[in-house]
Amino acid sequence: MATAPDPRLATRNRRTMGIMLLVAAAMLGLGFASVPLYRLFCQVTGFGGTTQRADSMDGITAAAGHSLSIRFDSNVSPGLPWTFYPERKTDTVTVGARDMQVFVAKNLSDKPITGTATFNVTPTQSGAYFTKIQCFCFTQQTLQPGEEVRMPVLYYVDPKILDDPDNKDVQEITLSYTFYPVENGKKPS
Amino acid sequence: MKMVKSVVLAALLVFAPAFGQSALAQDNATAAAAAPAANAAVDSAAATNAADAAPVAAAVPAVAAPPRMKPTEGIGMPKPGEYTLQEQFTSTGRDARWLHDIMLLPIITIISVFVLALMLWVMFRYRRAANPVPSKTSHNTFIEIAWTVIPVFILLAIAVPSLGLLADQYKPAPKDAVTVKVTGYQWYWGYEYPDAGIAEFVSNMLPPEKALANGEPNQLAVDNRLVLPAGRPVKLIITGSDVIHSFAVPSLWVKMDAVPGRLNEKSFTIDKPGVYYGQCSELCGARHGFMPIAIEALPPAQFDQWVLSQGGKLPGAAAPAAAAEATPAAAAPKVAAKSAPVAPAKI
Amino acid sequence: MTTITATPDDFSGAHAHHDDHADHKPGFFARWFMSTNHKDIGTLYLIFAIVAGIIGGAISGLMRAELAQPGVQYLQGWASMMMGSEANLDQAYHLWNVLITAHGLIMVFFMVMPAMIGGFGNWFVPIMIGAPDMAFPRMNNISFWLLIPAFLLLLGSTFVPGGTGLGAGTGWTVYAPLSTSGSAGPAVDLAILSLHIAGASSILGAINFITTIFNMRAPGMTLHKMPLFVWSVLVTAFLLLLALPVLAAAITMLLTDRNFGTTFYDAAGGGDPVLYQHLFWFFGHPEVYIMILPGFGIVSQIVSTFSRKPVFGYLGMAYAMVAIGAVGFVVWAHHMFTTGMSVNVKMYFTAATMVIAVPTGIKIFSWIATMWGGSMSFKTPMVWALGFIFMFTVGGVTGVVLANGGVDDVMHDTYYVVAHFHYVLSLGAVFGLFAGFYYWFPKMSGKMYNEFLGQVHFWVFFIGVNVLFFPMHFLGLSGMPRRYPDYPEAYAYWNKVASHGYEIMAVGMGVFFINLIWSLAAGKKAADNPWGEGATTLEWTLSSPPPFHQFETLPVID
Repeated sequence: MATAPDPRLATRNRRTMGIMLLVAAAMLGLGFASVPLYRLFCQVTGFGGTTQRADSMDGITAAAGHSLSIRFDSNVSPGLPWTFYPERKTDTVTVGARDMQVFVAKNLSDKPITGTATFNVTPTQSGAYFTKIQCFCFTQQTLQPGEEVRMPVLYYVDPKILDDPDNKDVQEITLSYTFYPVENGKKPS
Repeated sequence: MKMVKSVVLAALLVFAPAFGQSALAQDNATAAAAAPAANAAVDSAAATNAADAAPVAAAVPAVAAPPRMKPTEGIGMPKPGEYTLQEQFTSTGRDARWLHDIMLLPIITIISVFVLALMLWVMFRYRRAANPVPSKTSHNTFIEIAWTVIPVFILLAIAVPSLGLLADQYKPAPKDAVTVKVTGYQWYWGYEYPDAGIAEFVSNMLPPEKALANGEPNQLAVDNRLVLPAGRPVKLIITGSDVIHSFAVPSLWVKMDAVPGRLNEKSFTIDKPGVYYGQCSELCGARHGFMPIAIEALPPAQFDQWVLSQGGKLPGAAAPAAAAEATPAAAAPKVAAKSAPVAPAKI
Repeated sequence: MTTITATPDDFSGAHAHHDDHADHKPGFFARWFMSTNHKDIGTLYLIFAIVAGIIGGAISGLMRAELAQPGVQYLQGWASMMMGSEANLDQAYHLWNVLITAHGLIMVFFMVMPAMIGGFGNWFVPIMIGAPDMAFPRMNNISFWLLIPAFLLLLGSTFVPGGTGLGAGTGWTVYAPLSTSGSAGPAVDLAILSLHIAGASSILGAINFITTIFNMRAPGMTLHKMPLFVWSVLVTAFLLLLALPVLAAAITMLLTDRNFGTTFYDAAGGGDPVLYQHLFWFFGHPEVYIMILPGFGIVSQIVSTFSRKPVFGYLGMAYAMVAIGAVGFVVWAHHMFTTGMSVNVKMYFTAATMVIAVPTGIKIFSWIATMWGGSMSFKTPMVWALGFIFMFTVGGVTGVVLANGGVDDVMHDTYYVVAHFHYVLSLGAVFGLFAGFYYWFPKMSGKMYNEFLGQVHFWVFFIGVNVLFFPMHFLGLSGMPRRYPDYPEAYAYWNKVASHGYEIMAVGMGVFFINLIWSLAAGKKAADNPWGEGATTLEWTLSSPPPFHQFETLPVID
């Protein structure tokens, strides 16, 4: 450092650099932390149509006279030789009342395959109110060759949706699943 | 160029009726035969429907699909040398176009011209020859506040209708809306009608010579169009199969990404029957530029006829059979005379 | 207003001192390859940026040639040339994606950023604050030399498999899953590594600038007396420091998703491809301000110099840049209006984005107010600065249009967006670069450029880029999507016009290079201050070119 002969300046420069490196490291950390933070944010706010999860329906009372149509949509990743579809395409449910829909999955291949499902609802602003009590999407599913399973989803629509102006005009909520193969070595992040 | 095009078009129109009818008949026959079988084999989801439908469909004569609609030059597609937004055929599209043409465009033009005029005036008035001694002014609180506050008010004036427009665009569809599942693939689109029980069919770009032969714009024409009713609310549920695509139709003011592993929805009502073209609008690989979208909006009665012709069922109908008898199958040939010679075939 | 009122006389003592032994330069290799001198490193950055700019500009020439008429004319031939065997149609189309990707990445990371921050920042930030050099001269050298392998990796990625064909065809945004499962082969890995290294280079540079500006200012040079160019580099350095690590994290996860089986962006493992877009644009939006803010600084200096007037509303100008930088971090999702976000989120990002127009407006009007009452001369740097102000205004107002979430539904990913960001970057940032280049060329080289050729360059380039980019607004309104190698007949007219615009612009660039070579070889010797009384910042108190080591006795600013 031929141009900075003053030792006090050199110390000050090093201190500034240290602080700035910490800031950069913190932003790098934030970048990686955004993965769990984003997931948490989605789960809490229903962002992007993320559904809610509950263990029971304690304290939820059905809002008689208020019903919604629920549409069920199913997709299978191109890499998964399964068929997967809901038994009914739509249901009409009373807001706040529990309902069940059965999805049917069948392994068309001659090997046992494990799959896992992602999901969201549209319109996205309804995600905060669409609550699942039981769902095959909470765990991985393994199907033996040719095996067909019927998988129930227990859900309700939180009556608080009736107080949300953004959901005022919603008449139909679509619940969508996409089944993906669980590949060996692919760790869920 | 234009001359050649119109000559070709005229020739096509002359030959269309004869050729069109025979092609129609053939294609419908195969489509009807293939439909229930395909349902049963490919999509178990439709298996229950197919079980109901198959015997009936086999028993009654197939409903002829309405003839393939010819696009109107300059409607639902870009015009040569166009420098404005495309004409709009949905209410949100008209509102948005109003916002752009009547509010935004004049405002930004006025601001740009104002800045340019100020600059030209300053350059003329304060050139060195005219003003050899510069002033020393470097502050004027009043004017600094003014040029902060006035833009705020301009932006507020834009924001009010803009946010209102957003709210309108998000108005959800009523529950009886015609729902179509749209899936983006590398590099084509798949369309499925879950309520009508029409299994997914795919839509590929037509090669240039075929597009031209059909009297359709090159790069925009597809083999199997997305058929929708005009005047009825429509809800598209959109997803991607492999990478992100984007379903976009400029003349309907629709653009929604098709994201793998998640569903998006978009609702609108098309005002008028017609053919509306669009193109994939999110980079999705090599043939990103070659997976166009063509929507054929039919009058409601013809749309129902089309649904039946594809082996689908109408809402409220117990089975396709009842509706099939009611549809004016006789009307089909009459309209077919006006059609281009390619009928929608189910894949 | 706090202009620096020092004149050459104030430093005559220091000056005489320099002339004795301050110009003792190391040998060629040590001087240029192991340089610790901020001016030499700045020169290296400028040369690098010019080389990268030629390559990036040539790529856009290929693109405009292909787009000049409907149909695919050249891509297949070019792809065959690159592969050494007959390319099929898909490989040809893939080459298109490689071209758009390379053009974007080169222009952003290897042309504008190195020139603005590495080149002019290195050259003039230390001088303008009265410092002898940067705080960490060796780190400065490392920052520059990291760019070379980064650039070579990016260029090299073009010749290795990247999925359908050779090269990374993901767009400069590298969206997952196209960049993960959609692009097999090492090309995308190389491109990502290239971004890592370029990012590391920029972060080190940013730390260097922040430390220099905070600690090395000459006595009396308070923050509120710093020239606006220094302010602009300070704000830019903070944007780099806060934004680039997020990009680094985002593309590191892209890399592990590609190679190590993680599923951060893969729905199959519970990830979300949209998260990548959030992270990318959290970096990407500040990035556009990183490219334009130093241009703001340069234009402020030039407008003040050639109006012979201090900058109007200095503090407002400085804090407008701070405000633009700060608000720039909370508007990112306006790049993602069509990904399917709820109405409230879209409303927020619409409103927040519009807010940026306010500080930007303050800047535009303050520049005009600086000229108001001035005594203006229209030398080449001033002409470029005036061009910048108007073109940036045009690019800015189309940004207000795009900010409206409801309107963006039809504009998103069309040529309207291409036109918008080329008006703020190709006509904004690049005009700022040329303005700065002509302004400081006499100082850096000690030679005067040719004024006539400079004016010709401006007018030809100005007409060229406007003919090139203005029609893209029409194409976008009419619905033409971006990143398309072919288009319907209806778009032929404006595409043809745009391609002619490129030809005009290319002629303008030819004039620039002739001027550059002629001036370096045979230019008149430049005075210490060729611009007269309006040029009040410290670089004009030094000789042209400045001594190898300046300010060994620190100047005192009153």
